[in-house]
Amino acid sequence: MNISSRRKFLVACLGGIAAAGTGATLYPVYKYLAPKQADENGGKVSFRESDVPPGGAKFFDFRGETAVMVREKSGALIALSAVCTHLGCIVQWQTDKQDFLCPCHAGRYTPDGTVISGPPPRPLAKLPFTVTDGTISIG
Amino acid sequence: MTSMKRLYDWFEVRLGIKELVEKNLTGYLLPRNINCWYSMGSIILFIIALQVVTGILLLVYYIPEADKAFGSVTAIMNTMPFGWLIRMCHVIGSNMMILFVMLHMLSTLFMGSNKSPRELNWLSGFILFTLVQAICLTGYLLPWSQLSFWATTVATNSVGAIPYIGQFLVEFLRGGKLVGAPTLGRFYTLHITVIPLTMAAVVGMHLFFLERIGVSTPPFGLDNTKNRWPGGVFRYDDHPGGIPFFPNYILQDMTSIALYFAIFAAVVFFYPNIFFTKDSFVQANPFQTPAHIKPEWYFLANYQTLKLFPNEFIGLSIQGAAMTFLALLPFVDRGNEKLPLKRPLFLTCFIGGLILYIALSIWGHYS
Amino acid sequence: MTRDRLAIIPILLATAIFNLCAAADIPVQEQIVCIRCHGAQPGRLGEPVMLWRGSIHAANGVACNDCHGGDPKDLVNAMNPDRGFLGAPKETAIPGFCGRCHVGVLKDYLRSAHGMALGKGGPTCVTCHSNHLVVKATLEIINEKNCSRCHSFERARTIKDAMRQTEGLIVSIGKEIEGFKSEGVDTEKLEKGLFSVRNRFHTLFHDVDVEKVKQESTQINADLNKLSGVLCKITEQHEKRKLAGIVVVGVALLAALIFYLLRKTYD
Repeated sequence: MNISSRRKFLVACLGGIAAAGTGATLYPVYKYLAPKQADENGGKVSFRESDVPPGGAKFFDFRGETAVMVREKSGALIALSAVCTHLGCIVQWQTDKQDFLCPCHAGRYTPDGTVISGPPPRPLAKLPFTVTDGTISIG
Repeated sequence: MTSMKRLYDWFEVRLGIKELVEKNLTGYLLPRNINCWYSMGSIILFIIALQVVTGILLLVYYIPEADKAFGSVTAIMNTMPFGWLIRMCHVIGSNMMILFVMLHMLSTLFMGSNKSPRELNWLSGFILFTLVQAICLTGYLLPWSQLSFWATTVATNSVGAIPYIGQFLVEFLRGGKLVGAPTLGRFYTLHITVIPLTMAAVVGMHLFFLERIGVSTPPFGLDNTKNRWPGGVFRYDDHPGGIPFFPNYILQDMTSIALYFAIFAAVVFFYPNIFFTKDSFVQANPFQTPAHIKPEWYFLANYQTLKLFPNEFIGLSIQGAAMTFLALLPFVDRGNEKLPLKRPLFLTCFIGGLILYIALSIWGHYS
Repeated sequence: MTRDRLAIIPILLATAIFNLCAAADIPVQEQIVCIRCHGAQPGRLGEPVMLWRGSIHAANGVACNDCHGGDPKDLVNAMNPDRGFLGAPKETAIPGFCGRCHVGVLKDYLRSAHGMALGKGGPTCVTCHSNHLVVKATLEIINEKNCSRCHSFERARTIKDAMRQTEGLIVSIGKEIEGFKSEGVDTEKLEKGLFSVRNRFHTLFHDVDVEKVKQESTQINADLNKLSGVLCKITEQHEKRKLAGIVVVGVALLAALIFYLLRKTYD
């Protein structure tokens, strides 16, 4: 193979690598910068209103985590994450005291998730929900 | 191909491309005995370019507020597609930058390329070394992890050893008595604007000095290894009969850059965590100092030196003196000889200094 | 000469001292009056402080006043009952004392055989967990020394064996999460999930009911397997990245070779 054709071959190889390299660089950068699609991963959870009695709570799974629906004695509904913000234990609903108590280190929360006492650093996260025709839909 | 020729001709009559190409590319001759160490500069330019690109990409999602910074970096690492790759390139790249700047300085020193008439190259390079250390130091705080926070606390404390103005300097650097949100603000500004722009200017100067005086001749494989500069009058150091920059040495540069990229990619993909500790992934807690906080490897020798001297100010001064001596070396060592084997005092000090630096770093790691 | 002064910058910036003693702030807990006073006492009065320092309570910011009450900032009134000081609890008051925070465990303990034997020779929390050197609970707390004081070790061994496999899974998942955390993976949800399951599991023991342990273990193992699944996915993702890495390094080396060969054609 003479020098000139060898050079052409090598330059062609480099061209191929350069093209592949450019693609391999632009693809991640594009994915990184592209705005995220707000798609529903995990989906909604629904159940009937009558499942939650006044002064009671219903625990359910929401997007891989435990959540809770509370109906206060006044009838108001609140949807919260049931994961204690201290270290992650699942809080328990105290029907007699009408508040949440975490069994691990006695963190206490009001029905709307505000910390009353104990080690939790933040309130329980609220979840959005809608009620239509007696069905509650969370998410 | 005629359309290409016409395009070329259009630029040629407006820019004189042919002349530029002859002067700077095909006609720019380099010494025949040039070696791969002369590629270090190009590698460093490539590293800097990558740092700027990855840095700009990180800027898109980073939040420079004390209570949000750590969360934003965690999001980049875990949620943004390929965020982990961009961040890891930036982290590994910053360490590589310091390593290659050190190698570049060592090789130029070893080959006597810092001697007359290239003192300005050496000095501007030394300033760049300092700026690189500063950009690494300021960047370190931005993730706002336990490691970032406490390493910065100690680093800014060291300035306090300077008599009279020490404490004022510490508070000025921190923007307060302790490291906090104001510190993040200032370090962020330094890291993304002041230091990069200064570096760009000094790199420009550094390259201009190089281009103006010409590439030095390595002292290897020659009979006469003395410095050829006659002194007294400006003379471009040309290399008649040398190899052209384009295409010969540019291809050597590209080979070196590709090899560097292979090493860099190997570290990014297979050993990404060599520069991280457990405390790198815990959010900064001003009320809890973790045990065993150590500086990054490139500051370990300084760290150990300061631990050796009972008085902090003496420790600082000794290092300041050493750095100043190195910076002014071309003015101290005015000898003509460039081959290290014919410079026994220089060679002894060079090897001794290198061993001392490495030993101090290793000691600093284990102490 | 300006270059000289510019060399000061390396001193300021390049000479970072990482002298722990100089920089480390004293942790907030060590400043409370209880520790300032008792920490300086020899013998019986100073011992709790030393023990507490190695405990999980100390590591998580739970200090003397959090259990014993009193005023941690006022030296004069530190042990004043009017400021809530409770002193050291008597034996029968110990479970209630610890149970002010550990409510779940208290409930399980009180309805167990151990709880019913309180004050009649039965164990309190301190019997197995110690009072000041409280450490993260492991299965090893169930051992001959702790358990054969009142009855044969056989009964303890049965429940320990029933818990061993699940405990092993918990420990190995915990280690995997630790490993991922030091690689920059966001393990917060995983850590919380594991903590919750681990607590639900460990608190089971306090009922000292082998059947209950076996029953609940099924659900607990299911939850642990869910966590394992998430961890597996992360490992898979990391394997994929390594594969991409091999390709990138390979192509880079190939490019270096081609540049080198191309250069040779010009020599």
